[in-house]
Amino acid sequence: MKIGLECHVQLPTKSKMFCSCPTEECEFPNTHVCPTCLGMPGSRPVLNRQVLVYGIMIAKMLNCEVNDTTWFARKTYFYPDMSKSVQITQYDNPIGERGVYYLDGKKPIRITRIHIEEDPGKTKRTSDLTSLVDYNRSGIPLAEIVTEPDIATPAEARQFLTQMIGDIRHLLNIPDDLEWVVKCDCNISVGTERVEIKNVNGMKHAEKALHAEMVRQIAMIKAKKKILRETRRYDPERDVTIGVRVKEFEDQYGYIDEPDLGIYHIKDLADSIKISESPQNMVLRMSSQYKIDQKMAKQLVNTSMDLAGLFEDVAKEFDTASAVKWVAGPVSASWRAMEDRGETPDMEKLKGFIRSFTEGKVTDTQCAIDIKSYMTGVDASAAMEESAGLESLINEFLDKNPKIVTDYQKNDKAANQVIGYVMKQTGGKYSSSEVVETAKKLIEARF
Amino acid sequence: MDVKTVRDVAKFAHIALTDEETERYCKDLGDILSYFELLNEAPECDERGVNPILVEDITREDVPKVEYDADVLLRDMDTYERYVRGPRLS
Amino acid sequence: MSMDSTLRDLKRINEKYRMFHAMTEDLEPGDSSFLFSVKDNLTSKDMETCAGSRILEGYHPAFDAASVEKMRLAGGKLIGKANMDEFGFGTFSTNSGFEIPRNPYDLDRACGGSSGGSACAASVIEDHVSLGVSTGGSICCPASFCGVYGIAPTYGRVSRFGLIDYGNSLDKIGVISQKAADLKKFMEVIAGRDERDPTSMVQPEFNTAYRKMKSVAVPKEGIEGLSKEVEKAFNDALEQLKSMGVDVDYVDMPSLRYAMPAYYVLATSEASTNLARYVGMRYGHQDGDHTLKFDDYFTDVRTRYFGDEAKRRILLGTFTRMAGFGGRHYAKAREVRQVVINDYKKVLADHDAVLAPTMPFTAPKFDDISKMSALDSYKADYLTVPANLAGTPHLSVPCGYDSDGMPVGMQFVADHWNEDVLFSIAEDWEKQFDLRRPEVSI
Repeated sequence: MKIGLECHVQLPTKSKMFCSCPTEECEFPNTHVCPTCLGMPGSRPVLNRQVLVYGIMIAKMLNCEVNDTTWFARKTYFYPDMSKSVQITQYDNPIGERGVYYLDGKKPIRITRIHIEEDPGKTKRTSDLTSLVDYNRSGIPLAEIVTEPDIATPAEARQFLTQMIGDIRHLLNIPDDLEWVVKCDCNISVGTERVEIKNVNGMKHAEKALHAEMVRQIAMIKAKKKILRETRRYDPERDVTIGVRVKEFEDQYGYIDEPDLGIYHIKDLADSIKISESPQNMVLRMSSQYKIDQKMAKQLVNTSMDLAGLFEDVAKEFDTASAVKWVAGPVSASWRAMEDRGETPDMEKLKGFIRSFTEGKVTDTQCAIDIKSYMTGVDASAAMEESAGLESLINEFLDKNPKIVTDYQKNDKAANQVIGYVMKQTGGKYSSSEVVETAKKLIEARF
Repeated sequence: MDVKTVRDVAKFAHIALTDEETERYCKDLGDILSYFELLNEAPECDERGVNPILVEDITREDVPKVEYDADVLLRDMDTYERYVRGPRLS
Repeated sequence: MSMDSTLRDLKRINEKYRMFHAMTEDLEPGDSSFLFSVKDNLTSKDMETCAGSRILEGYHPAFDAASVEKMRLAGGKLIGKANMDEFGFGTFSTNSGFEIPRNPYDLDRACGGSSGGSACAASVIEDHVSLGVSTGGSICCPASFCGVYGIAPTYGRVSRFGLIDYGNSLDKIGVISQKAADLKKFMEVIAGRDERDPTSMVQPEFNTAYRKMKSVAVPKEGIEGLSKEVEKAFNDALEQLKSMGVDVDYVDMPSLRYAMPAYYVLATSEASTNLARYVGMRYGHQDGDHTLKFDDYFTDVRTRYFGDEAKRRILLGTFTRMAGFGGRHYAKAREVRQVVINDYKKVLADHDAVLAPTMPFTAPKFDDISKMSALDSYKADYLTVPANLAGTPHLSVPCGYDSDGMPVGMQFVADHWNEDVLFSIAEDWEKQFDLRRPEVSI
């Protein structure tokens, strides 16, 4: 079975792609509109530069070759929400081509191309089946990402979408709470003929639509029926795909160059754009580069990219062991506390504490207290007392339960057993990560 | 140019043709397309211009602006509660 | 004629010559310093804009075209929207959804097209300037048939904001007037960069200082197929030019014969996409039956309101740009445009302009036009098309009259952005040319 996807993601610009209308949601239909996005005769498009920037960022994240020169094309098709009956999109020389995305950091999914284009408006049906159209969305920029048919199963398609979209959200700084619909055209062939399921909304539906179509194709093959090369749509309520039309011509849109915009030399722009590594990639890379557990890498990256960055700095400046001991330990444990106080950790200061320890100026207990005291704002003597309090509680518990130490040597999760006890004794005064880090230190001291 | 092609093209272009029109356009387009065959003799060229002059790198900044009164734009449109009326979708 | 009398007589002038589709209701000149009209494919806030097409009836744009806005700012009063071939699709202004303008020299003859109404207004009304639009020759052709001066500047010189598109990579807005000096004066008003039209943003400075035209190249391909009378008038004009100190050379420009098919492929391909938006929603006629499925609704409205030539060009353009139909001409046409541009650049490296008659014949009678096949009328543009395809500026001057008294024109083509040398030759020519104005009676 082969599955390839064409995903459309909205780009978070403030104004539309070819006009200055605001992109923010609007309660009233046809309010954020102008002659350009309404396709009124005499209007003209002007490209929003930020759309090129976002397009290049995604292209780079997907390891695509960014074209030196890019331009736009007109795709003609008739539909009530398409105000010009022409969509300005890209045909040849799109922003990026020939990329690859590593699913779970391992399996390569080849990316055919990524291009930028404008969204149509929205239609709704009335009771007498005629349509009502809102063009507020008309002209909002989209990136279309096309993959090769490298995806093996519907579940894998969902996994791919979840990971890639998570990375794009992070890349373009799209807040977690913002609803951000991803639309897909899904191509699937169980046998030899390819079927396209158009306009599937969201990752969950993509998996379900592909699954429904897979089941249908398998049944057709079993019944020795011919599968038509066609376009279908997914009906989520009945969980089936429905044929919409048979493709008559390979190129039914009659693309031509868009003559109103000219061409764009994007090499310099692309060179100047440095994209941050995606969280997904960073976890995988750190785990293999520093030979640390993926969970630890994930914990660092998810807490903060800055924390993960500090880990790398310390590993480089001192050694990996110090990074694990200090950054993944007390620094990580108090990171949120510091953020909650509205402060930004001073990396040099933190490195200073670690240096004092590595140079033998302070004991490891003192170092841990210095770090905690700096980050939580609790003064050193109180931190020392607290820490002493915590340490003695854990030591008590370990004395009573020596098996934890032996278990720990097989599986470091054994340290988690102290959490419940300490939490209960202290009424949740310490964070669980702080407890675990301290416990690990004390257990290891007993080897 | 045959009659079937004219009919297919017209369908794509969303234009209905009577039989008489189909015949007539078939002949006109046939003549014109034969004349276009002259292009096959034309010299080739590596340059590819979207425009006759080089238009390059013209963009605007991402600053939202409301430059038109939407109600003026909707003035002559057939609307219902600010929605633009359209035909059936299916 | 003063502005007052022009405005007073406007309706009666129009009844006779049918140059305007819409006219101003306000007949007071107020503090305007001049009157002007524009082709009806330039949007105007105060008058309906239809571009010669019934499908746009009722379209009242919310914005003025950039060129209209600039003319008003310069003190102009817009008096009318000039009749034209539907969307610019024609050579005689006869392919109109509305009225067909009459030639000022003979009412049974055409004004030329597609800016026929504009040239007619410039010829009939004294002290009048009209803006035209040229895609394949639509300024110079009617200027020539109506015995006036007309310029289509370099592609990208005038903002196309507010222009109802025919072929976006070809359309140019220019000026038509009885007076050569007006071309420079009003081009200076409308030229310039406009952030609303990216293709206007790369132009160099607009030079208007006098620069004498020293030499012209006459392409052999440009003097084939002329009517006897046009040939004679042109040859006389060449002698006159020589006496004015202009060197005349004959050159070969073999690419010119490919310009015609390349032009029609690009123009109709682009037009078929531009016209896709006219579906009976949002503007113009919205009177279809909404209970029809959208494909049928769109087809119904388009079939009822597009004219015959618009349909022909839509079909042609749809065919040529769709590989599925075997149309493989679009990419080649794009190459040929570059070949033609290179050919012009080569000749214009040694000459100030390329010169040929504007049209191979003088304004034809309506009866004769109705007998022409579609291909015949396309081919009539062979002299104006190459410069339009190349986006090079070109200017038509009246250069003689045939035995029926109908004007003959000749067209100078300069290199990209070199309008200055065209203005200079037009003004020099005007000083020694005996212009015969049409007899205007109303």
